[in-house]
Amino acid sequence: MAGIDLDVWLYGALASYGSNSEKKSFSNPKVTLPEGSTLADLLAHLGIPTEERGITFINGQLSALPGLQPDLGHLLCNGDRIGLFDLKSMWPFQYRHGAMMTEEMARAMGAKKDQGLHHTYRKK
Amino acid sequence: MWILRINMANRSYGLEEVPAAYKNLGGRGLTSTFVHDEVPPLAHPLGPNNKLIFAPGIVTGTPASTSARISVGGKSPLTGGIKEANAGSSWAQYLATMQIKALVVEGQPKEKGKYWMAHLTWDASSAKPKAEFFPAQEYAGKDLYEVFPKIYDRFSGKIAIAGCGLAGEYGYANSGIVFNDLSKRPSRYAGRGGLGSVLASKGLKFIVAENKGSPGVAFVDRALFDQGKKKLDEALRTHDITKPKGALNTYGTAVLVNILNEAGGYPTRNFSSGRFEGAAKTSGESIFEGNKERLGKELYNHACSPGCIIQCSNTWHKPDGTEHTSCVEYESDWALGANCGVDSLDDIAEMVRLCNGYGLDTIETGTTLAVAMEAGVIPFGDSKKAIGLVQEMGKGTPMGRILGGGTEFTGKAYGLTRVPTVKRQSMPAYEPRAVKGIGITYATSTMGADHTAGYTIAPEILSIGGQADPLSPEGKAALSRAFQATTAFIDSSGHCLFIAFAILDIASGFEGMVEECNGVLGTSWKSDDAAKVGAEVLRKERAFNEAAGLTKAEDRVPEFMKYEPLPPHNQVFDVPDSALDSVYGEL
Repeated sequence: MAGIDLDVWLYGALASYGSNSEKKSFSNPKVTLPEGSTLADLLAHLGIPTEERGITFINGQLSALPGLQPDLGHLLCNGDRIGLFDLKSMWPFQYRHGAMMTEEMARAMGAKKDQGLHHTYRKK
Repeated sequence: MWILRINMANRSYGLEEVPAAYKNLGGRGLTSTFVHDEVPPLAHPLGPNNKLIFAPGIVTGTPASTSARISVGGKSPLTGGIKEANAGSSWAQYLATMQIKALVVEGQPKEKGKYWMAHLTWDASSAKPKAEFFPAQEYAGKDLYEVFPKIYDRFSGKIAIAGCGLAGEYGYANSGIVFNDLSKRPSRYAGRGGLGSVLASKGLKFIVAENKGSPGVAFVDRALFDQGKKKLDEALRTHDITKPKGALNTYGTAVLVNILNEAGGYPTRNFSSGRFEGAAKTSGESIFEGNKERLGKELYNHACSPGCIIQCSNTWHKPDGTEHTSCVEYESDWALGANCGVDSLDDIAEMVRLCNGYGLDTIETGTTLAVAMEAGVIPFGDSKKAIGLVQEMGKGTPMGRILGGGTEFTGKAYGLTRVPTVKRQSMPAYEPRAVKGIGITYATSTMGADHTAGYTIAPEILSIGGQADPLSPEGKAALSRAFQATTAFIDSSGHCLFIAFAILDIASGFEGMVEECNGVLGTSWKSDDAAKVGAEVLRKERAFNEAAGLTKAEDRVPEFMKYEPLPPHNQVFDVPDSALDSVYGEL
């Protein structure tokens, strides 16, 4: 079965999960996975527990926030760029209002009573 | 409480009691009210009829966290409209504890190019603040890093400093008002809109404040204030963004570099792309790791002003471990970095240091350099030549003066169409084509393109905001209106806007902020009054702008954003004009 090549960016504390970490603050591993792989498969491949990641992007579209991860089953495609951030990162609502989201994320936000107008969804 | 008026026509001062109508105002609410009530809308910003107003916030000078904020207002030499810029500094507390509710600088000396300084102290015998004036010619024409230590040496007491740099003396539209930080650096700026040159146009170079013996801030209900402070402190200490060793304390505001870059909303090379290949090297994470490598230990950020829990100000160090500059904020990092195609933190830090030394707004400076690069004056990415251009601004050469006029002025000088400004103020580090909500706020803000104009909403109106589809243009416009109004309240309270991160998620924190204000003023505001109080401020600002000629026709993003698709998402700004007009049309 053909594989898919992924352009993965790991930031902050997650950088150490990348094998080619040139800088401690980020790494950019090139990952090949079997076709049909999901984001959960990528995390397993990298060894990143999903609870250690916060803000996540797939091709520049927001796919997860701290405490809100509707993207584990997202099917990845050849050439996808995935950006994974540690839990210290942030993207305040006012600076992401109207930015692109994955379909799963848009649905998850829409299902929230407050339409997703928060910075974090993590339980204390 | 007093209104202290300084008349620079004859270097005199007077104290007035606070009018009843101004009693519950503070910070931005007060400076904007003064501008609305007293500055002729058609006055020349650098002429004798403009005024410059300084006002601490409602809770400034109290133990409230993040409350050492000073608001500065006047008619802007950059936008031609109303301007409010604010900063965190001990200077704010000194004014508040001397019970100066507002300092109004007016008039203009006949002598051009002569400078004085004012010294504000508490006069125990009369139980009033007083002002003295001294010649300040010896401090003119110099770098602020050279001048600040001399002023600290000159006064024996514990002082705080406000002033303007060379950029103000030259009359640049991108000059800021400088304030000291906690390490006596000239690094805290009410940066935007050219207010530094308004101060210089009054012949006033520095305002030194010394609050020894002052009575402090009076409370109507101290217990209520304490209750509110407890709630707000708790929210700040527990929220992931604002808590100690949280996002801002660890990575600083530059925590947003990699985020906006991944989102494809990080303006690159003069807003020609939304993603910069060198972004990760200039991010907050890289600043943290770079300092760790150069210092041999982790360095968390420091407070810009007394009594802050968040502590987001960073310091960048040279390879030998000595300090290079403070502070490399997200917007400065971006403006002088990605937006100029520059990926060297050391060179970005050098430009930040030069801006601080000359009294320049880092955002407007970076966006102007990028426009100069687009014009071919120097190549994108050539950080050494960029440093050279900033130095020309400091020297006041003809090129420096063109750049000092700001981004739109420079764009005109070179006949460009890709000029990222609204109401002649350049856009900060969020691309409207990729983040549509911020685009609406940029377009409609009374301040020109301003990333701090729409920060949060009261938790109570979250559900109202949510009634309109937040993804529709109308829903986004409704939210932008609510955001701008609530932000005007926070800007009036005396709190740093960054409390917004915590209080949007933790409703008791929002309540706490309002209770703190009630405890000082004796008001009985509830959380959802914040937007109403803020909306009143916006109405005054809007009325001033309309009288100054800034009508809704100026509530637009630059045209190129409507027809140039932005990589990587290849979107244009497609919010209809009717939605933009509804932001203030329905205020």
